[in-house]
Amino acid sequence: MFSAPIALAAIGETVAQKSGVLNIGLEGAMLCGAFFAMLVSQVTGSPWLGLAAGGAAGLALTLFQGWFTVLLAADQVVVGTAANLFALGLTSSLFRMRYGQSGQLLSVPKLPVFDGLDGVLLFMLISVGVVWFLLMRTAWGLALRASGEHPESVEAAGFSVLKLRMQGLAFSGLYGGLGGAYLAVGITGSFAENMTAGRGFVAIAMVTFGRWNPFLALGAALLVGYADSLQFTLQARNIALPHQLFIASPYLVALLVLVFAGKGTLVPRALGTAYVKER
Amino acid sequence: MNVSRIAFGLTALLIAGCSGTSSAPAPATTAATAQGSDFKVALLTPTAVSDAGWSAMAYDGLQQIHSQLGAKVNNQVAEGTQIKDAMRTFAQQGYNLIIGHGFEYNDPEIQVAKDFPKTVFVSSSGGETAPNAGAFRFYLEQSFYLAGEMAGKMTKTNKVAMIGGVKVPSIESTFKAFEAGAKAANPKVTVITVFTGKGNDVAAAKNATLSAIGQGADFVIHQADAAAQGVFDACKEKGVYAFGSNLDQNDNASGIVIASATIVAGPAFVDLAKHVKDGTYKGSVLLMGMDKGAIDFVFNPKLKDKVPADVQKMLTDDEAKIKAGSLVVPKDEF
Repeated sequence: MFSAPIALAAIGETVAQKSGVLNIGLEGAMLCGAFFAMLVSQVTGSPWLGLAAGGAAGLALTLFQGWFTVLLAADQVVVGTAANLFALGLTSSLFRMRYGQSGQLLSVPKLPVFDGLDGVLLFMLISVGVVWFLLMRTAWGLALRASGEHPESVEAAGFSVLKLRMQGLAFSGLYGGLGGAYLAVGITGSFAENMTAGRGFVAIAMVTFGRWNPFLALGAALLVGYADSLQFTLQARNIALPHQLFIASPYLVALLVLVFAGKGTLVPRALGTAYVKER
Repeated sequence: MNVSRIAFGLTALLIAGCSGTSSAPAPATTAATAQGSDFKVALLTPTAVSDAGWSAMAYDGLQQIHSQLGAKVNNQVAEGTQIKDAMRTFAQQGYNLIIGHGFEYNDPEIQVAKDFPKTVFVSSSGGETAPNAGAFRFYLEQSFYLAGEMAGKMTKTNKVAMIGGVKVPSIESTFKAFEAGAKAANPKVTVITVFTGKGNDVAAAKNATLSAIGQGADFVIHQADAAAQGVFDACKEKGVYAFGSNLDQNDNASGIVIASATIVAGPAFVDLAKHVKDGTYKGSVLLMGMDKGAIDFVFNPKLKDKVPADVQKMLTDDEAKIKAGSLVVPKDEF
């Protein structure tokens, strides 16, 4: 449950990166998702509407980013970083405008849980298969993957690289927004400034870790989430080791796997480079 | 190409982004009062003042200085190397009093105070002084000790837990006092400590609390500030009681906050500002404890009937002893 936000964001980011766009703004999409999910859930009393609003907010921020990175061929890292700062500023300012300068400990309606499973977890398990199928077994998926490898040939084959990349980005925005929304209305029923605390960046690492395969990305996110929960349990058992060591352990796991899995040629070759149509 | 459009769009996005983050403290800048008072007070906090805890309490104190003394007030987040810069900037702008809200502001203020003899620098906790610089130390350990006693007496599992965000000396000191209180009331009690290492991570705070409860804890106190809702949410799910900290959190929506260990910062802030305004301030370390009304332990009126009468009596007695000075709660010097 605690690793679901990272897992969802990683699944979405896989699609974006397959299409050749590195969405550094994933953290911002998650934060916007968390804030608007909390807000809508509080105002309407429906966590489901909140979830939808969170997904939409992540999608909106990411498409705005796509306007720069895909359509205007701007640097993806710079724009992504700007989007993260924008999201942090926007959500913090709105939070203070609505709940006062000194903040509040908010409690908003949460999603119902049945036997440890809720709608979002179910959606995550189903969509990882669906996303894999779309990517690997459909003509659209082939074209999308090709636009991350060799965009010129995709354009020559009659597809629009820009459209495919916007669609790839849309996945990462929607899933990132949902991941953030789940943090707010699924796990905690609350919001705090910068509550995503770097989960977007961890999710980006999970994509590499998962070799650009949605199933492996999900597995990677679950593994790091497990390490995270384990370190809390070890602390709670009063095991006499510095707590910083425990806190670092999930990142250590991620780093180790990246060291051993980092080689190879699975990286989409056109990842991070903008496609400018020949005139 | 579209270079100019990109440049324009990016600039717009960056400006929006930057102004969003850096202007966050700006709305706090309060316009000059009607009397045109030129008494100016600045507050530096380690975290955003929207944390509904430690920093929020200082912000409320600052607003009381503004409303009661008509001072112009300003506040800013400053940590690490930013602290001295921020202090110098405010001092150069003619601020009369600069409050750094934490022990980490004590060292820098002593250094900066030499260069600005007309400005008074005060940090919340810390031990060093200069003619125009000092500290007040909130003795929050006192109410954490009482919370510990209550948890120690009432626990059924003989396990109680403390959940923290980032591990800093002031928080460790309150946790030690909680542990001392719990052990004084019940020698068999085990105290579980979990730090998340992150300030605002509500989900991590919840996960950490669930781990502590999973190990058997049935009373939880926190120093998680903005992430406290995660602690309360976990306690509500598992049906255990929690304590509020820094501010009175008894009315939290979770409904499981049985009592709060609070700092009443407002009067201390206003009193300090008055002395500075009158020119009677002398650099010193003031210990602000229960005897001065700066620290309080507040029962949740809705849950008070769940607290056995003998425990209530013990707590009232010990509170009186603490006020009288016959019970001295341990505290770290940092």
